[in-house]
Amino acid sequence: MKRVLLLVTLLAGMTASAQDVVTQVRARLADVPLLRGDFEQKKTVSGFKKPLVSRGVFLLAREQGVLWDTKTPFASTLTLTRKSLSAQQASGAAAYHLDASKEPGLAAVNEVMFALLSGDVAALSKRFRVQGALEGAEGWKLTLTPTDAGLVRVFRVIHLEGDKYVRQVRLEEARGDVSVILFDKLAQAPSPSETEAQRLAK
Amino acid sequence: MRSKWAILWLLVVLAVGAHQVWFWFSARLDTDVLALLPEDEQAPEVGAATRKLADGASRELVLLVGAKDWEAAQRAADVAREELSRDPSLLKPSALDASSLDVALELYRPYRDRLLTPAQRAWLTRATAEELGGTALMKLYQPAGPRLTDWEADPLGLWPDWWAARAAESTARPRDGRLWLSGEGREWVLLAFHSQVSAFALGADGRITGVVERARAAVTAAVPGSRMVVAGVPLYAEAAASQASNEMSTIGIGSMAAVLLLVWLTFRSVRPILLVGVSLVIGCAVAISVTALVFDRVHLLTLVFGSSLVGVAEDYGFHYFAARQGKPPSERGALMRGLLPGMVMALLTSVVAYLALGIAPFPGLRQMALFSATGLVGAFLTVACWFPHLDTGALPVTPFAQRFATSLARWPRFTSTRAWWTGTAVLALFILGGLWRLKTRDDVRQLQGAPAHLIADQRELGRLLGLPSPAQFFLVRGQDAEQVLEREAKLKERLDVFVADRMLPGYRAVSDWLPSAEQQRADARLSARAEAQAVAAVAEATGEAPTRARFADGVLTPEQLLASPASAAIRQQWLGAMGDQHFSIVMLRGLDAPSLLPHLAEAARGLEGVRWVDKTQEISGLLERYRELMGGLIVLGYVAVLLLLVTRFRRQAWRAWLPTVVGTLFTLAVFGWVGEPLQLFSVLGLMLLLGMGVDYGIFMLEHPGEGSAWLAVALAGVSTLLSFGLLGLSATPALRSFGLTMLLGEVAIWLLTPCCRLPAGKDVS
Repeated sequence: MKRVLLLVTLLAGMTASAQDVVTQVRARLADVPLLRGDFEQKKTVSGFKKPLVSRGVFLLAREQGVLWDTKTPFASTLTLTRKSLSAQQASGAAAYHLDASKEPGLAAVNEVMFALLSGDVAALSKRFRVQGALEGAEGWKLTLTPTDAGLVRVFRVIHLEGDKYVRQVRLEEARGDVSVILFDKLAQAPSPSETEAQRLAK
Repeated sequence: MRSKWAILWLLVVLAVGAHQVWFWFSARLDTDVLALLPEDEQAPEVGAATRKLADGASRELVLLVGAKDWEAAQRAADVAREELSRDPSLLKPSALDASSLDVALELYRPYRDRLLTPAQRAWLTRATAEELGGTALMKLYQPAGPRLTDWEADPLGLWPDWWAARAAESTARPRDGRLWLSGEGREWVLLAFHSQVSAFALGADGRITGVVERARAAVTAAVPGSRMVVAGVPLYAEAAASQASNEMSTIGIGSMAAVLLLVWLTFRSVRPILLVGVSLVIGCAVAISVTALVFDRVHLLTLVFGSSLVGVAEDYGFHYFAARQGKPPSERGALMRGLLPGMVMALLTSVVAYLALGIAPFPGLRQMALFSATGLVGAFLTVACWFPHLDTGALPVTPFAQRFATSLARWPRFTSTRAWWTGTAVLALFILGGLWRLKTRDDVRQLQGAPAHLIADQRELGRLLGLPSPAQFFLVRGQDAEQVLEREAKLKERLDVFVADRMLPGYRAVSDWLPSAEQQRADARLSARAEAQAVAAVAEATGEAPTRARFADGVLTPEQLLASPASAAIRQQWLGAMGDQHFSIVMLRGLDAPSLLPHLAEAARGLEGVRWVDKTQEISGLLERYRELMGGLIVLGYVAVLLLLVTRFRRQAWRAWLPTVVGTLFTLAVFGWVGEPLQLFSVLGLMLLLGMGVDYGIFMLEHPGEGSAWLAVALAGVSTLLSFGLLGLSATPALRSFGLTMLLGEVAIWLLTPCCRLPAGKDVS
């Protein structure tokens, strides 16, 4: 009986401290309606010996969506809005489009991507169990374990690191592939250009 | 001589009694309503298909719990789930969880390469090597996405699309570990429960209905503005059972009490009540035994309906006791001999009318016809053989009986005067006008008296979920499973046109989950070629040497799929082998507009082995056919009864015959004037009027001027009126229409029969 009580107290204590971390991390993060910068993604995929490295620029407009433009090793654009996901190769060789209104599974993944890039911890804690720690004066680290049955199928665990902004995302997929994305040259301006706005409106 | 017959009948009754003990212990009662409907002789597989669909649904309870936003809907769903799971012996949550998806994924994984959607098939056929390679690269470098398998096993990322197409067969989607859908201004959670009790074993106490109503109250109390929509066969079964038991108790007990009171007032003796009761019980026992021997099983509805038909047999007992009143016990034998010709005549006309019910190839009606006819004979033989022996005491004339018997002399009698002919002309005009206005209706809905709120919930649920309709479907036939699946594919091509035009939300076919072997092999070749190009392009771009995964050598077979829990969604649509043919059902989702049905029927035209089944229309058509058939039989019945009457009563036969004819026409005319449509069950009522109404005339003709015959006719008329006429209060349209027919017809015939009696002092013989 005593042991059970101890366990309950411990668990209660842990949730309390996890809540604290979430609140503290949120306090450290800048509230950004718009964020742009460079990214470098290293993706380890089964069947490939070396990580697949790609670089490019991204734009996050919190109300509209995400533009993910790869520059190397080949040019392609990915547009992620609440309504759809569409991708295009600059050479015009390939393109595809998915409608999120027909597939809420896709909508959920879109929501997670928004939340990851913008560090929206409140949105993430709806679908993930959030644990973490503060680092130094400005830094923090979070570990996200999916609780939603649909997301368990996609992600095993996600690690987030950052300060005022999210600096690194490590996605460990359920099937073993791992992507590490590093962000650089983060800025809250300039606002979307005309072409960017058009893509986001799709 | 008399006692020899009594002993003979006693032996028969003992044999029946022994059979009854065996019958009730082996419980050979049938409760399946479908067993009462005729099988389509040309297509027994349609019946099998309908039964399979009905069986699959008979225990399911589907709920949607909705609220203004997703958070509130989830809270409301939790409350509902908790309330409904409280008694695990009653309801159990159906498995809709993620584990069933994992089982399905593992089953299909080795065959991933041969499962393509029509859109993918078109794209893979058309796409260039650059396009395929580019797509593979983009998906490979994409940060993260829905992947269900390793890259090598699906380099073009085709599989999630295939699953999305399967998921599109329902509007509900997984969201936060629940099934979610959005519609009619609310966010909804889908819940499903499985009744642990068979739908036909459900009692009238409405346990499931009670739990559902408690859950509904709890949900609306816990989450303001929330709503719960429920549908399922168990709720209908409970509503029907409680309605039936309510009606049985109000109508049944009410009429029984009234008849007993009447008999008591008339005879002031328990003996008539007891003996008439004995004759009815023996009649029913004989009927059950004979029906069980002929049909093997007796349907519950036959028992309920047939027992009330056998109730007509009380007329014989009344007739005997009415004549017996005031006579010394020593005259019993002679009295019975004197009554027999009339009683036999009455019995014959009733049996002819009942057996006519059985001419139609309607299994339910055949049972009821045999049941009623044998029951009537059994009750009659009991009266004829036993009553003179058992009825020993004195039976004085009571003041009530005396007053009633003498009332006959004051009853008007038809004579050729101006007033009577004017009255006849008015009645003729009334009847002609009514018949002119008479309409017919053969709607399957008359068979059910389900409460409106259940039907409304069912509609709303169907609208929100886009549920497949169990009443309309395509039945696909083939030499083997492979041919069935190939023919399904041809049918789907035509249905896709409707889906593309947004006339039909979708369909659900076995071949969507299990393409034909030929299709699987073709798709495997197509994806092997395209994915080889994609892998080559990726190898060139990355400088590595990835390989494409190997898949199973054989194809996915129906046996494999059916052995897996993954087939739960389509199992009831796969009928498999029946005779030397194989069958499957293609169901239609969200079928809302009746105007679409003829187009769908048209879609099956010219496709070999595909048959459009519209159960609603089929049953309505059936009801119409039988209404017309029975209508014709009634006319024939009247001719036959008239001929029978002429053999005994010669030129006076019309006096027994005409009141029933006029009573029947009068009933139809009233229906016409008040707008009550004529339907199969009112026609059945007319058939019984023929059987019973003529009896009164026969009794009056056999014993002209006798107050006792008039008393017996009055007792018979009032008790019949009470037992059948009260059915007019029933909530089931079919029973109500039947009851109304009996009520109007009985009253009219009863009033008219003494008007046609013989003039005083005349005799038929």
